[in-house]
Amino acid sequence: MTLAACALSALLALARTAATSPLSTESRPAAEPRGQPPSGKLLDQRTDEIGALLRCPVCQGLSVADSPSTMARNMKAEVREKLAAGYDQEQILADFERSYGEFVRLEPPMRGVNWLVWFGPAGMLLAGGAVVVWALRRPPRPGEEKAAPAPRRDPDPPSRDTVPADPRLAAAVRRVRMLAYGWPDGTSPKERS
Amino acid sequence: MATTLTSGAGTARAPRLNRKVLVAGLAIALPLLAVLVANLGRDPHSVRSPLVGRPAPPFRLVPVGGGAPVALASLRGKPVVINFWATWCVPCFQEHAALVASARTLTGVQFLGIVYEDDEARTGEFLRERGTSYPSLMDKDGRTAIAYGVFGVPETFFIDPQGRIVEKYVGALDRDAILSLLSLARGGGR
Repeated sequence: MTLAACALSALLALARTAATSPLSTESRPAAEPRGQPPSGKLLDQRTDEIGALLRCPVCQGLSVADSPSTMARNMKAEVREKLAAGYDQEQILADFERSYGEFVRLEPPMRGVNWLVWFGPAGMLLAGGAVVVWALRRPPRPGEEKAAPAPRRDPDPPSRDTVPADPRLAAAVRRVRMLAYGWPDGTSPKERS
Repeated sequence: MATTLTSGAGTARAPRLNRKVLVAGLAIALPLLAVLVANLGRDPHSVRSPLVGRPAPPFRLVPVGGGAPVALASLRGKPVVINFWATWCVPCFQEHAALVASARTLTGVQFLGIVYEDDEARTGEFLRERGTSYPSLMDKDGRTAIAYGVFGVPETFFIDPQGRIVEKYVGALDRDAILSLLSLARGGGR
């Protein structure tokens, strides 16, 4: 190994120590980094991706990636530092979860009662579909009448200008006409002429 | 009005109550209703801190105005009260006197302030004007607040002599609350 390479690796090691144990908060996260540290554009992209999975604690339903608040900016900086130190997505999310609880994850992790959140709606839809299919396909029970055929349409529907014979019904039709067409007293122009 | 508009032809038979449908409906609706009722009185913003009962996240922060950094690890052996605050927060202003008086009169307890999203000069001025009896530390990159899961200010953590968080208090403290939570941190009941 050349002297330059030695110096470079020593510098890298130093930078990593500085990144994992900043002055403010020591020994977070507890586990060893297990991801591949990204760099450059990929680091920015991964920071945004993980930021989108974290809830900004001081906002209303905004992710850390979307929020302009100082808290979200600080959290994003911490995500970036941890990624650069080689921590993977799950380690980083678990680390924030240790402080804020599961609340901080915008996507509930697939465990315990959360399975219900992930697959409950689809399960209910399938169950509902199954009930409909079963109800449509089952043979009619003995004694159960067949459904009455749909009433046929009146071959000669009343026109706009006729009024039913029943006086109360006629009054209602006139009111509707008055409101819908603006005919005075609900009387059609044809009726008037 | 509606009744006058229905055609009188063929009155429909009232549908029979289907016991199976009723049971299935209740099986779906009752648990949902129970969850709703159980959570009616709950504040959706109050999330129980997962840190209660766990070791307090360590930190090493420089006091307002400079000086030697204060490390939480060096305070083992006595209860510690950590108050996250800011000069722009009204409840912090309200609780300031109670905290300062408690820190002055109570022995064997370390009070610490951690400044949350605030300017150092403004904080120094505030402390000079209103007085203080314990160090306030600058959390410049906000990492300590994040490690403690702070949602806003004021939030106060009561830590026992072994360095375990025994309680997190959200909102302005008064002397009674400080005393009762401190007795919890000392290992006594509330």
